[in-house]
Amino acid sequence: MSVTPSRVPVTVLTGFLGSGKTTLLNRILSEKHGKRIAVIENEFGEVGVDSELVIGAEEELFETNNGCICCTVRGDLIRILGQLMKRRDRFDYILIETTGMADPGPVAQTFFLDDELKNQFQLDAIVTMVDARHFEQHVDELNEPAEQVAFADLVLLNKTDLVDDAALARIESRIRGINGTAKIHRTKNADVPIEKVLNVGAFDLNRALAVDEAFLEPEYPFEWGGVYALAAGDHLLKTAGEHDHHSHEHGAHEHGHEHHDNHDHNDGHDHEGHKHEDLDVVLLPLPEATPAALNDAIEKAVRAFAEPATVVPCHGALPEIPAHYAIDVSHPGADFKLKIAKPGAYALFCEHHPAEFGLHLHGANPAAERRFASHHHEDDIASIGISDPRPLDPAKVNQWFDYLLKSRGQDIFRMKGVLNVKGEDRRQVFHGVHMMFDAQAERPWGQAPRVSNLVFIGRGLDRAEFEAGFESAVAK
Amino acid sequence: MAAKQSLSVALEPRASLSFDDYVTDCAWSPDGTRLAVAGGEGKVALVSVGDPFALQQIGEHLLGALAVAWQPRAQRFATSGQDGYIALWDATGGTQLKRWKPGVAATQSLAWSPDGELLASAAGKVVCLWSAGGDKVHAFAPAASTAVAVTFDKPGTDIGVALNGEIAVHRVEKSRYETRRYKWPAACLTVNFSGNGRFLASGMADGTLHFWNRSTGKDSQMRGYDGKVQLVGWSDNSRYLASSAGNDVVLWDFSGRGPEGTRPIVLSGHTDRIDSFHWQPGGEHFITGGRDWRVSLWRPAKARQPVDVQMVDGEISAVRWSPDGKRVAIGEKQGRLTIFDLVAR
Repeated sequence: MSVTPSRVPVTVLTGFLGSGKTTLLNRILSEKHGKRIAVIENEFGEVGVDSELVIGAEEELFETNNGCICCTVRGDLIRILGQLMKRRDRFDYILIETTGMADPGPVAQTFFLDDELKNQFQLDAIVTMVDARHFEQHVDELNEPAEQVAFADLVLLNKTDLVDDAALARIESRIRGINGTAKIHRTKNADVPIEKVLNVGAFDLNRALAVDEAFLEPEYPFEWGGVYALAAGDHLLKTAGEHDHHSHEHGAHEHGHEHHDNHDHNDGHDHEGHKHEDLDVVLLPLPEATPAALNDAIEKAVRAFAEPATVVPCHGALPEIPAHYAIDVSHPGADFKLKIAKPGAYALFCEHHPAEFGLHLHGANPAAERRFASHHHEDDIASIGISDPRPLDPAKVNQWFDYLLKSRGQDIFRMKGVLNVKGEDRRQVFHGVHMMFDAQAERPWGQAPRVSNLVFIGRGLDRAEFEAGFESAVAK
Repeated sequence: MAAKQSLSVALEPRASLSFDDYVTDCAWSPDGTRLAVAGGEGKVALVSVGDPFALQQIGEHLLGALAVAWQPRAQRFATSGQDGYIALWDATGGTQLKRWKPGVAATQSLAWSPDGELLASAAGKVVCLWSAGGDKVHAFAPAASTAVAVTFDKPGTDIGVALNGEIAVHRVEKSRYETRRYKWPAACLTVNFSGNGRFLASGMADGTLHFWNRSTGKDSQMRGYDGKVQLVGWSDNSRYLASSAGNDVVLWDFSGRGPEGTRPIVLSGHTDRIDSFHWQPGGEHFITGGRDWRVSLWRPAKARQPVDVQMVDGEISAVRWSPDGKRVAIGEKQGRLTIFDLVAR
């Protein structure tokens, strides 16, 4: 007897912190596209700042302020969707923005597990935004970026203007390596036609489950394996770049600790992800240079990784096969001599993907290669939220932020907020990604209570330090 | 025969009103002369009981009203909305007395203390207490998860909060607050104190119903539901605990040694999901409203079959007895509001 209207398509927008989701949402909520879209935000933080950051869009904005989406949010998400369905003039689309730290899997699954939702909504696609500038660094250090890419139907490779073509190609190939089926769309400043995001129509439950299973694969001590057909003689295993003895002498690579006062995003500053370190590799002889032979060698490689490694310094030699080596890849242009006694097929298994170091076998390409699910575990990432009505002194805020960015810039993935600045009748809104930081005055406070809301998300952040910093910026 | 017949009752339509919004919930005034209605698109309306009944829209919450609660012993009620505001309304003039925003999150649940002195609100992770005039009395420390429901017990000393993984019960005594936690690793969807004070019940997202003996802390789990247990309610005399996760109502009988190990009473008859039910104040009747456009009146102590069934014009979203138990308001998703009187037949 009850009438079931057509289901409302739902897009799940995910992407690592700072990838540009808020920018995209601002577009969706402000541009004239003739569609009625309800946006549901999910914020990983103790105070809901994103609603304040989305400019002038209060009427269309729904916020679920609920911590990590993996666990507690489901109930809330369902509530808010239920609330949307009470509108008799229905929305054309629903877009759910997940927090930057979330795995979009649980949200997607909700639409299949919950009968209520299944009847009313149709999951259209998971769209993952990727920050071209920071993706390589994040994906090496964390699990989530790879997971988010893995779940995507569409990857919006954003901020393409901040990296060069070589980096873009590398990132795309890396994304492809994680998810071979997602469409990749390159964008600048999240400028993508809205139809591309909302009409993907590509959601496929089987694929979501398949990806999930891939993440349940056994843990391997290596992320990459390749097989080469090699002639007898010496071969050179090299990392990218020219060897620079200066950086060797100075130890850890300098990270450009000068503050980016000019907000110049094109200064060529490069976040060096690996200032360490030895890379564990295993070399094995194979019967032939084929994918099948490579697969057959996996178990042998796991066993070899369990054996003690021989440490090989820069310019050292790898004389034996099979063997487990720890090669020093901390310098650009490092090379290692690979001595092949007998022509044939040889497998190289690497602890991390060789592309991270530009590691390659000079003059040879792998006949077959394979990635392995890596299981980096997110460790001490957390968010600190500060909400305080006391007016701030603009000069002291700047001092505090300067200090923060210099001392903790690398640890703070994302900072954003709304500031109640003394003597200023407009909200001061700021965004920061690592050491880059931007602030501007937005709409006036008007009748709204003047409260500063700040969120810092990063690794190993100490709440007391941030509270003391805020305290130091309060106008006396 | 005549005497026996007079025991039998039926629902008689009394008034049909156009609210023109999804009826999220409604609340009767203590004297039964007025009914406040909250709409899914945001309308706030007041129905005056009379001849004829009159419905007047008196305000709104942008993006939808979420809760409505009538203040005991007063001609006032509170509403909350998706816009984040709580509003206090004077029912005699249909005017707004106060409107304030307790925080960033929307207030999903409102509850008045039985004496009408305190209004509890659950917004996001924060439960606050407000005076009858809307001034903040206390804000509890934010919970680890979103508070989805808040309620007072009958004496008004305990406030139950449904959270993910626990029911928190805050005791309020002379401005001192102590919290006791009843834990179960699933999202609690409802919080229901029995009128006799002995039990605390909660419907869970994992398809179970839990009740705790409040003096011993013993947790009892009832299973066998089709899905999330979204509706839970105690009968006025605390004998029955009603619950629903679909087309049927499952009743647990707390008389004698209690429901553990017993088979529940199942009230079947709806052909689609029941979205609202309510026990008759001061009586044994029970009303259910479903997506099958059907209103069913039950008297579970006497029969497993409905006493009466009435059809309305659409899917039902809210059913509420008047405080004297002689009248019910039935709200529909398509915006119609029907008032039925309980009559002898």
